[in-house]
Amino acid sequence: MAYPYASDREVRVISEYFGDPEARTLDGAKRRGRYKGLEKALSMSPDDVVEVVKASGLRGRGGAGFPTGLKWSFMPKNYDRPHYLCCNADESEPGTFKDRELMRWDPHQLIEACLLASYAIRARHAYIYCRGEFFETNQVLAKAVEEAYADGIIGADVMGSGHEIDVTVHVGAGAYICGEETGLMNSLEGRRGEPRTKPPFPAAAGVFGMPTTVNNVETLCAAPHIVAHGAEWYRQWGSEKSPGTKLFCVSGHVNKPGNYELALGFPLIELIEDVCGGMRDGNALKAVIPGGSSVAIMDADEARRCALDYEGVAACGSMLGCASVIVMDETTDIVKQVRRMAAFYAHESCGQCTPCREGTSWVTKILRRIEEGRGTEEDLDTLIELTTQMVGTTICVLSDSVAPPVQSSISKFRDEYLALIRRGERVGAA
Amino acid sequence: MAESSPAETVTLTIDGRQVTVPRGTTLLQAAERVGTRVPHYCYHPGLSAPAMCRLCLVEIEKAPKLVPSCITQAADGQVVHTQSEEPLAMRRGVLEFYLQNHPLDCPICDQSGECKLQDYAHAEGRVHGRGREPKRVFGRDDFGGDVVFYGDRCVMCTRCVRFMNEIEQDPRLTVVERGDRSIIDTFFEEGLEGTHYHGNIVDICPVGALLSKDFLFKQRAWDLDHTPSVCPGCSQGCNIELHTRDNLVQRLRPRVNLDVNGHWMCDHGRLDYEWINRGDRVEVPLVGDGREARATGWRAALTSLLERLDGAGPVRAVVSPRLANEDLGAVRALVDALGGGEIVYRSRRAPAEVPLKGFPKLARRRDLEPNVNAARLLGMERVGGDDGTGGLAPFAAHGGVLIVAGDELADQPPDFGERARLYVYLGQHPTAAASRAHFVLPITNFAEQEGSFTNHEHRVQRFWPALEPPGAARPGWLVLGALLAERAGEAAPTRAEVAFERIGAFEGLTYERVGTGGAPIGEDRALPAEAAGGRA
Amino acid sequence: MSGSVPYRNPGWAGNTGEFQLSEAQVRGDDFVGTRPLAGGHASGSASYPYMLEEKRPDAPLFEGPYQDRLDKILTRYPDKRAALLPVLNLAQEVRGHVSPETMDRVAELLELPRAYVRGVTTFYTMYNKRPVGRFLIQVCTNISCNLCGADDVMEAFLRYANTEPGETSAEGDFTVVEAECLAGCGFPTCVQINSRYYENVQPLDVPKICERLRARGR
Ligand SMILES: Cc1cc2nc3c(=O)[nH]c(=O)nc-3n(C[C@H](O)[C@H](O)[C@H](O)COP(=O)(O)O)c2cc1C
Ligand code: SF4
Ligand code: SF4
Ligand code: SF4
Repeated sequence: MAYPYASDREVRVISEYFGDPEARTLDGAKRRGRYKGLEKALSMSPDDVVEVVKASGLRGRGGAGFPTGLKWSFMPKNYDRPHYLCCNADESEPGTFKDRELMRWDPHQLIEACLLASYAIRARHAYIYCRGEFFETNQVLAKAVEEAYADGIIGADVMGSGHEIDVTVHVGAGAYICGEETGLMNSLEGRRGEPRTKPPFPAAAGVFGMPTTVNNVETLCAAPHIVAHGAEWYRQWGSEKSPGTKLFCVSGHVNKPGNYELALGFPLIELIEDVCGGMRDGNALKAVIPGGSSVAIMDADEARRCALDYEGVAACGSMLGCASVIVMDETTDIVKQVRRMAAFYAHESCGQCTPCREGTSWVTKILRRIEEGRGTEEDLDTLIELTTQMVGTTICVLSDSVAPPVQSSISKFRDEYLALIRRGERVGAA
Repeated sequence: MAESSPAETVTLTIDGRQVTVPRGTTLLQAAERVGTRVPHYCYHPGLSAPAMCRLCLVEIEKAPKLVPSCITQAADGQVVHTQSEEPLAMRRGVLEFYLQNHPLDCPICDQSGECKLQDYAHAEGRVHGRGREPKRVFGRDDFGGDVVFYGDRCVMCTRCVRFMNEIEQDPRLTVVERGDRSIIDTFFEEGLEGTHYHGNIVDICPVGALLSKDFLFKQRAWDLDHTPSVCPGCSQGCNIELHTRDNLVQRLRPRVNLDVNGHWMCDHGRLDYEWINRGDRVEVPLVGDGREARATGWRAALTSLLERLDGAGPVRAVVSPRLANEDLGAVRALVDALGGGEIVYRSRRAPAEVPLKGFPKLARRRDLEPNVNAARLLGMERVGGDDGTGGLAPFAAHGGVLIVAGDELADQPPDFGERARLYVYLGQHPTAAASRAHFVLPITNFAEQEGSFTNHEHRVQRFWPALEPPGAARPGWLVLGALLAERAGEAAPTRAEVAFERIGAFEGLTYERVGTGGAPIGEDRALPAEAAGGRA
Repeated sequence: MSGSVPYRNPGWAGNTGEFQLSEAQVRGDDFVGTRPLAGGHASGSASYPYMLEEKRPDAPLFEGPYQDRLDKILTRYPDKRAALLPVLNLAQEVRGHVSPETMDRVAELLELPRAYVRGVTTFYTMYNKRPVGRFLIQVCTNISCNLCGADDVMEAFLRYANTEPGETSAEGDFTVVEAECLAGCGFPTCVQINSRYYENVQPLDVPKICERLRARGR
């Protein structure tokens, strides 16, 4: 059941036990079928596990949508050097709140998934890199890991298979950029969480210089189900290129915000109108951000025709990202919200690359000035140019993430910018 | 960079020109081969390359996006454009961000004129800025040692941090905070005090963020003349440039020599140059009777000296290991011509070496004089203590011919050389201990003449004149060479090169071979490293 | 929030929506119980910190149970450097903030350069570089919460505490800061107070929450 609201339109694969405190305990989890997928995986060869995941078409849920099986297949197929799995639980993208729910309601699902993925990529140690702010969630997870160790599920002889896999819950200390996979690896090594240049890619030289796979919590959680039931089973939902189910984190001006697990390809407007109980106070829909703060804003028209899978959202000029649907009604001050997102990037830029370090704060300052009525029409061109200059020039894509919200809002809600500018001009003239 | 066997090369096209480079060469380095300097801040040939300044972006045909040329390795058949529209536009964009918070205080910045922000902004930047927002202010911070930090000018290239981490290996510097609050700092008040190579961070800082206190507001960079030279601070012989103006040395800067000092030099050597600028100089030849001296011209002085040279008894000489190979060779030749005799030198020695951990070829050596090794090669012996004093009792009271060259004898009494039949003092500075000299002949120091030093590993390295000599001062080799030639009826050496080639110890080497980078003397002639200490 | 959905604030500002769950059940307290200061099983020893109310800036570090926790943390990584974040967390748990002295001590312990430790510490926002009040109140004002009135919630906390953003109230109880997205977007406004999340906070809830905190022993 999705927490805190449920809808019968959902397909609950990984979110089945949200809101069910008993699922947290090892006994409860086992009774609910946890560790069946792992058991099956351990009876297969690691490469066969990878093949199943590949065949399922599962794509990364951390934002980039990279095919998970393919990523796993990049890992060296031997045990010459230590391999590591890093579970990316640093969830910090504004609008995203699914990994926290996955961890706090169903920690054993994630533990099972980490063991399964570790087995598949021949890792003996999985680090779950959790956001430091998730104190309560992390304690739930740590407790569950402890139980799993005590039960022999984790450790020197995983479920009696003879394979050794350790799991460590590691917590960050407040930095969005540590969600970027190479920033995460630096942070895990005890460094400033600055992203690394690629190559080398993580599968060649990742954390501690060893072959590493980084996967999002939600991505991993799907894997045991896929292995247990088969690739075809998973493909019954979604489309050819975007198969399976996905958690949609809906926030903003809807009546029932929350996480809803839906088959990919679900119509966005039905998510808002039906699943989420419609718009707050019956207000009109103004805009939707379909995939977290780094993607382009859609206006109401685009939202009405958008199907929620990787291709469908792209067709509407945006990106599915991590499927964080932020819904805005007619009362929304778009300029303010865009400024707030820009300020977020300015706060979270690691500061290595100059376009990002200087650009994020510059853009924020201009937006702030416009918001305060001291902007000019020229500023809008400057904003578009500056954000363009920030794309493709940096180490990671945090810098690139500023362009979509800023540029799309200027092109789709130019009136709002102009209204603020005109009002300022009138006040200035008076 | 990947190791590669030298035979392996790749051929690519950069800006329409074909170039073949060893495998592992970066595009940035390969571009330099065809004469293109791609702008960059964070890349420095002596440090690791984090590819974070994002300024060296170039286009490779068929690549999905621009690549940082500092870490992208050249590959066979690549077609690279550094000056095409896209990379130029991208770099112009990136540069604009550099100027957003920069204070633009060039008129009061020491770096002005040798600043990479000025250079690149001028070459590739936008014509007009469009920054309207208030600028971020960090202010200024004393980093201790010789370094002062102007935070607002910093471009966050982290060269300084990487130098301290990788080369000095005393990681005192770090980036603190993140995003646009990032700033370079030390551990609170710790500073750089007590590190020995921190002056290099001022050199490698591409902008005026790290400045030398010693040089602060002293000169404008474009007013300085640069002369290749060799550091006289110790027997390492770091290759340097003398930066001069108004006939004074204003600062020393390292000159790249990967066999000796890499890109670096030590702080001791860098800051010990004021002695070169000393104003109290002997400016004309003085001829005396041991009581009174009279100024004269060179011809008169040398003629008179020649007359008294022979038959004055056994010869003894004291030389300074700051003299050039050519000067020391001339002293050796003179002493030998007069029948041979003991030649000694005094030198300061530090208690220990100060190695540069990340570039182990370089260490501030124990011998704090540049040319002790030439002196030893020429059979001269070290006397006195580690502070460079004492040890001259037999010389002070010598009764025959006493020659002092270059040693200021600052610790010696006025009656030094009183008993000598002939006391010739060739030096730069007037000194009480020369008051009994029959001849006081003004010679130049290394900065005023052409010559060479022999470093701790017997590498001969040349230097060039950067300053006008005071008055009638002439190089020691020229003075003594003329004297010897006159005595033997030969042609006098008129160029340092000739004087050098006449020295047997350097046989086989020529100035041409030594070039600007130096060359080792033949192994058969090299001496084993000397044990510490000298004759008391 | 309004409309057809039954919204009930159960007093700790959580929203259990259509579920009948207690605070302990939602937070997971009943499952976790009291986690030992020594860190429990080594696998979770790096999963703290608590942000405790009592701040003892001069308290000894790495003693007693904390020594045990430290030892366990060190077993989980191939090198000492990797333990830096967990160890700083531990130090902050004991002292309430990470002072220069603390950085120095941690640097010595992990054999890292002091400047490096400062560089790492200042990179992360969760390390308090200066002392904070008994309760560190971090109000998410990012987009999802902002759409639902986070600025007003922030304002309400500031007004109650009678202080400025980033500053500590006069009696030392509350430090109120604006936070970036806390990943509680479906429960706006999301507020982190010390180690705990308070969700669906509305301006009206603020005095209640603060009074409850103030009254509490721990
Ligand atoms: C600035 C930035 C922040 C990111 N933050 C997160 C995050 O919080 N959680 C996450 O899972 N992935 C995040 N990612 C994506 C990761 O880099 C990486 O693609 C992902 O963890 C891979 O896992 P997946 O293939 O399972 O999606 C972020 C990427 C960027 C560029
Ligand atoms: S783009 Fe921004 S966040 Fe990413 S590495 Fe560069 S400065 Fe850091
Ligand atoms: S101080 Fe200079 S060398 Fe150091 S990061 Fe700044 S610009 Fe680079
Ligand atoms: S190491 Fe010696 S030669 Fe080099 S700079 Fe220092 S004093 Fe001069």
